[in-house]
Amino acid sequence: MGMSVAFEGDARAAAAVKLAEEQALVRKAQAGDRLAFEELVGRFDREVLRLALNLVHRPEDARDIYQESFLRVYRNLHRFRFECSFYTWLYRIVTNVALDHLRRRTSRREDQAPVPEEAEGGTRDFFDRQPELRPAANPEKHLLGQELGAHIATALDKLSPRERMVFEMKHYQGLKLRAIGEMLGTSEETVKNSLFRATRKLRASLDGMR
Amino acid sequence: MQQEQHENMPDGTCSRFEERWTLFIAGELDASEVAEMKSHLVECERCNETLAQENALVALLSSNRVEPDAALLAGCRASLEDALDREEEHGWLRRAFGAVLPVSWISPAPAWSAAVLLLIGFSVGVLGPRFLWHPAASENSQVASQVVGKAGGTTSEGLVANDPGSRLSAIDLHSAQVAGINVFPSDDNKPPQVELRLNAQQPLTVQGTVNNDDVKSVLMFVLRNNQRFDADTRMNAVELLRARNNDADVRSELCHTVHADHNAAVRLKALEALDGAEPQDIIQQTLLDALVDDQNPGVRVEAINALRAMAAKGQVESDAHLLAVLRERMHKDPSTYIRLQSAAAIQDLGPRQKF
Repeated sequence: MGMSVAFEGDARAAAAVKLAEEQALVRKAQAGDRLAFEELVGRFDREVLRLALNLVHRPEDARDIYQESFLRVYRNLHRFRFECSFYTWLYRIVTNVALDHLRRRTSRREDQAPVPEEAEGGTRDFFDRQPELRPAANPEKHLLGQELGAHIATALDKLSPRERMVFEMKHYQGLKLRAIGEMLGTSEETVKNSLFRATRKLRASLDGMR
Repeated sequence: MQQEQHENMPDGTCSRFEERWTLFIAGELDASEVAEMKSHLVECERCNETLAQENALVALLSSNRVEPDAALLAGCRASLEDALDREEEHGWLRRAFGAVLPVSWISPAPAWSAAVLLLIGFSVGVLGPRFLWHPAASENSQVASQVVGKAGGTTSEGLVANDPGSRLSAIDLHSAQVAGINVFPSDDNKPPQVELRLNAQQPLTVQGTVNNDDVKSVLMFVLRNNQRFDADTRMNAVELLRARNNDADVRSELCHTVHADHNAAVRLKALEALDGAEPQDIIQQTLLDALVDDQNPGVRVEAINALRAMAAKGQVESDAHLLAVLRERMHKDPSTYIRLQSAAAIQDLGPRQKF
């Protein structure tokens, strides 16, 4: 018991130091320090990219969301007043950009189904062209995986952008409903309802696959 | 009692718990609610099934999740850095504009905004010169950096001054302002005639081709004192000195300009002006310095292109330092183009090894 209290105390102190560091970085970035801004980006960008990639499933779209989000952060950083955590503020921007993207995509039918990367033309940069060094997959398993992936993509497409965002942020980003509400600019109750609707729709679409 | 709850739902689950299983899995229930749910699970088989299905759903969806790989993340970071570079280049204009007319004001009323901007532009155009008129400055600006198309009858070489006895000296240059550089193209591939007008205690005019040492001195003076002269004047000076890029003094001044001029366009021009200059090791070092240090991606692109061009002609001395710089650029340069070109340059120059 005593030890767990000590651990909690240490964790709290570490969190406070981290927060102070982050605030100092934000202040430097607000003063025009580009390196500080880049460090802030480095702290959060993998999570942002993961969120984007799992929402849109296409690397080039995820890259657009990533870039648009961080550019907006860069342009509006002077407006950040430390009234919430930088993380919350950043995610407010990221979710706005991602929701816009999903809404635009929903309005264009041809963009709805995820397209395998190999089938697409267009330019890819040096890094994209490097071969992936994954172990060779079992072809049968790969085929089944593809089929399952297509079913899941269809099921996810039936969700509204907001439902999809809430489901992703709750189950895979591990955020609390209250925090999601803050990021999406809505109440916890609304977020909860979105999560219920999303779960119900997914359950109906994927019934028999579990 | 449990049976009653089951009957409330079409699929037979307990109505009271139906949505709470979602929150239970999401970890959004408090301790007392969790305890209640767990004790309910002990006695309700159907809810056990529901919970298992909810868990299976989340697990199924997680099987389709993707993790961004390092290459995608690196690509995103590089693109972002390029975008930030562009943003910084245009940022001051946006900030200045935003201070006058905030975007939040413009967006809702684009027609009115356009009208106001037109009015402001017209007012500045009409009234501005009255406030900004400064006879001396005006005289200078009229003659500064002009490139004249036709010769104006200037045939004498060297120094021409209002006082025939005056000499061009360091003191003259130190106190002088270059009021204008006029260039008169010559026929028959000869170097162009240059007329440099200096405002000093006694106005001076230096005329001749760039091969004339007085002309060279003034042009080099312009580059060396880059804070005192506008970018157009410096660009003209670089362009003219290009013809003498194998002169040790000129080469040194051009290399200095690549390092020190505060205007990226002038630095770029100076890099171009070094094309074909010797000795190659000094040029190579200048290109490498620009590739590593210059904040402007355009200058770095020019530097890597020039290096590759030199390599293609067999003019590059491949050594460990050069390869280390290229490797560092290949991994770290924010510009995808430069990273690719650096990789290609390593392939051209380096030993066949894994990098």
